[in-house]
Amino acid sequence: MESEIKTDNRFVVPIGPQHPALKEPGHFEFDVDGEVVTGASIRLGFVHRGIEKLAEQRNYIQDLYLFERICGICSHIHATAFAVAVEKLAGVVVPPRAQAIRTIVAELERIHSHMLWLGVAAHEGGFDTLFMYSWRDRETVMDLLETIAGNRVNYSANLIGGVKFDIDDSQRDAILRGIDFLDQRARYYLKVVESDETFLGRTRGVGKMTRGEAEILGAVGPTARASGVARDVRLEAPYIGYADYPVVLVLDDRGDLEARFSVRILELFESFRLIREILSRMPKGELSTRVPRRIPEGEIVLRVEAPRGELYYYVKSNGSEMPERVKVRTPSLCNWASVASLAVGHKLADMPMLLAGIDPCFSCNDRLVTLRRQDTAQTMTWEDLRQYGIQYYRGKRVCP
Amino acid sequence: MMDYHFALKQVEEILQPFSSEVRRPQEHQIDFVMGAENLNAAVEALFLAQWGYLSAITCLDHPPVKDENGQESEGSLEVIYHFCRNAAVAGLRVSVPYSHPHVPTICNWIPSATLYERELMELFGVVVDDTPSTERLVTSDDWPEGVYPMRKTFSGFSQESR
Amino acid sequence: MSLIHLLLFPGGLFLLLVGLLYQWLDRKLVARYQNRIGPRLFQPLADTVKLLAKEEIVPHGVHRGLFVILPVIGLASALTAALYVPMVGFAPAYSFNGDLIVTVYLLSVLTLALGLAGANTLDRFSLVGATRTLTQLFSYEAPFLLALLGPSLIVGTWQIGEINAYAAKNLWLIVTQPIGFVVALVGLMGKLELPPFDAPEAETEIVSGAMTEYSGRGYAIFRLGKDVELVIGLTLVAAFYLGGLSNPLEFILKTLAILLVMAGLQSLFARLRIDQTVGLWWRLGALLALIQLLIILVVKVAL
Repeated sequence: MESEIKTDNRFVVPIGPQHPALKEPGHFEFDVDGEVVTGASIRLGFVHRGIEKLAEQRNYIQDLYLFERICGICSHIHATAFAVAVEKLAGVVVPPRAQAIRTIVAELERIHSHMLWLGVAAHEGGFDTLFMYSWRDRETVMDLLETIAGNRVNYSANLIGGVKFDIDDSQRDAILRGIDFLDQRARYYLKVVESDETFLGRTRGVGKMTRGEAEILGAVGPTARASGVARDVRLEAPYIGYADYPVVLVLDDRGDLEARFSVRILELFESFRLIREILSRMPKGELSTRVPRRIPEGEIVLRVEAPRGELYYYVKSNGSEMPERVKVRTPSLCNWASVASLAVGHKLADMPMLLAGIDPCFSCNDRLVTLRRQDTAQTMTWEDLRQYGIQYYRGKRVCP
Repeated sequence: MMDYHFALKQVEEILQPFSSEVRRPQEHQIDFVMGAENLNAAVEALFLAQWGYLSAITCLDHPPVKDENGQESEGSLEVIYHFCRNAAVAGLRVSVPYSHPHVPTICNWIPSATLYERELMELFGVVVDDTPSTERLVTSDDWPEGVYPMRKTFSGFSQESR
Repeated sequence: MSLIHLLLFPGGLFLLLVGLLYQWLDRKLVARYQNRIGPRLFQPLADTVKLLAKEEIVPHGVHRGLFVILPVIGLASALTAALYVPMVGFAPAYSFNGDLIVTVYLLSVLTLALGLAGANTLDRFSLVGATRTLTQLFSYEAPFLLALLGPSLIVGTWQIGEINAYAAKNLWLIVTQPIGFVVALVGLMGKLELPPFDAPEAETEIVSGAMTEYSGRGYAIFRLGKDVELVIGLTLVAAFYLGGLSNPLEFILKTLAILLVMAGLQSLFARLRIDQTVGLWWRLGALLALIQLLIILVVKVAL
């Protein structure tokens, strides 16, 4: 470390892979001059699990559950994208009631994700009260998901060819009550992020990205919409129930962190409206349809709007029980480029909020750890690490 | 919403000159098979016509197959550049053999493609000429050179090599 | 007698326990404001015992002596400062003309020790934290001192004990010098690096600022130092602006009232960037304190 500081005149502040600002591993190096950031670089892949490779060795049913576990926050949308892609390849039509239920769960998930983000982003800005409040209220939507699916995180609503559970009248009433409460809370949060002076001091004009920049940097989702890029897969290429229950685009052309806050909160209202509308006129009918085990040969690109933006699935089938290739491109990947280029010129104190501003979700493990000690790099497996830990503490005569 | 037919017609007009074969894998999708030498010109044409945006770059591995005579054909890598405009998806398909897996970079037109190109290089061993960054993105620092995990032939490391 | 003053009351053991109690109160109040349950009564004590039992790691590249002694200097100076303030409503243990200045600077030694401790290590988070700690020291110190100067000008003495006695007999100075009170209160929050002035130890940016490399004993001592400083700061502000402290009951009620307001302020705002903190203090804090001082001087001359 010493040599690094002295040899080149850069003062590098490393953030991650373990850092209090990041709840997931990613590595960012910021060159700083005093408090001002002069350069930024990103290193990902600390938790690369090789899911795309795994998917080639499992059948479609197993893959559905595998993809649901790509992300702990937007699990439903991953499973939905995969299920819809496979259904299209198999040429089956999913009953409308199943599509409506998928849409409801997807929107509940969006509410849960945006409220989680609001808390995390507020925490990065040192506004812990907003963090605690929004996470408290987020419990409402978590409870709703538990009520209908029996689970708070991996709801596992999808089957290939439909959904697993129905929404009955008592569940419908519970959802409507929960939404009414959240609606009122979201109004309050909107007021806070748009009028709290200290908070505006941290968000207004920070990380400004123009529409042109957003397009060139390939930003997607709420990050792009906060810069005025009118792009939402739910509108452009409606999937599941979005053709019957269209959404209204939320746009903001200010492009700074404040805009990203207000776009996401306004999207909450849109989700509330959509859920109310679907629940008021739910189609009747079956919940699932039969899909063959072997999927006919073909390939498809399927895009869906995850809470963080456009999620891309490419599925190629070869006529067997297992897919030939599945490619997943998560929205966070597209938004990284925007962070790296926006960072330059901002204060170090703004970095956590800028990182959080795109609502990053690290996904992708090689079960190897590399230790860097001066010049020697040493590779340890998990078992070696465990043994090293045991030996170390034996030597210290502390515990076990 | 349903104007993807128009978008598909547009993109077909733009990319027809560069492609050797046009396929329609799905109703909303159109694929253009082209050689690596035409890729840059095709991306430029799309960029200048402002048709859509790059959604992702996918790579397919076609390992060598033996025919009935026991003759082994050469394996190839197929790189697909997916561009989207509303519901329409246009795929630019470039096939390169194992012996010369070179594709040109498209970062001069679409700077955000660098992440996908780095992924191509690490996971499939496609050589992307003139790409701005060749640093590791996904695999760990101690990942051996020349081992490409997403190729069909890769099935994990043996216990000893760890 | 002086040994008892130094080791048991008001310095030493008693103050450490009161410090832990006030840390608990502060955490509990902020937690309740944020709709959380908050820590249990013995949590700060348990934290301290746990930290003291832990291995202390001295990182490579630091000056070992400084690394070990700086927390001790910080805590010692905070404990010494307690001897000159009317702790728990009793008359200060020691008193001489000019002890106000000494007390204020003894309190700053802790911050200085913290800044030096950060600059002593090679860790980038510590270095950035140290820079911020010292920057913040230079920004709030002057307004805070000016705010304490107001009451001292009215009474015409530099002795804390006399100002306390005067405040107890006359109209509460918060009524006659509201600006001074606000500046002193917010200055105290800056001194203690409480939110929103917690940029020097902003965990989402620089982990724990200057204290990042500290673990075990050193960290426990720094934390204790801050707790002690919290009690002394509250005592000073209550003695000067809230009608003095003449008995334990008054001490408890008045310091608690200030703590209640401070906890509210802590949970009300987002963290200020260091440039915003400096801007706030020099553009607003110092100006307000000077205006207050000017009013006092004009009134005093006119009378």
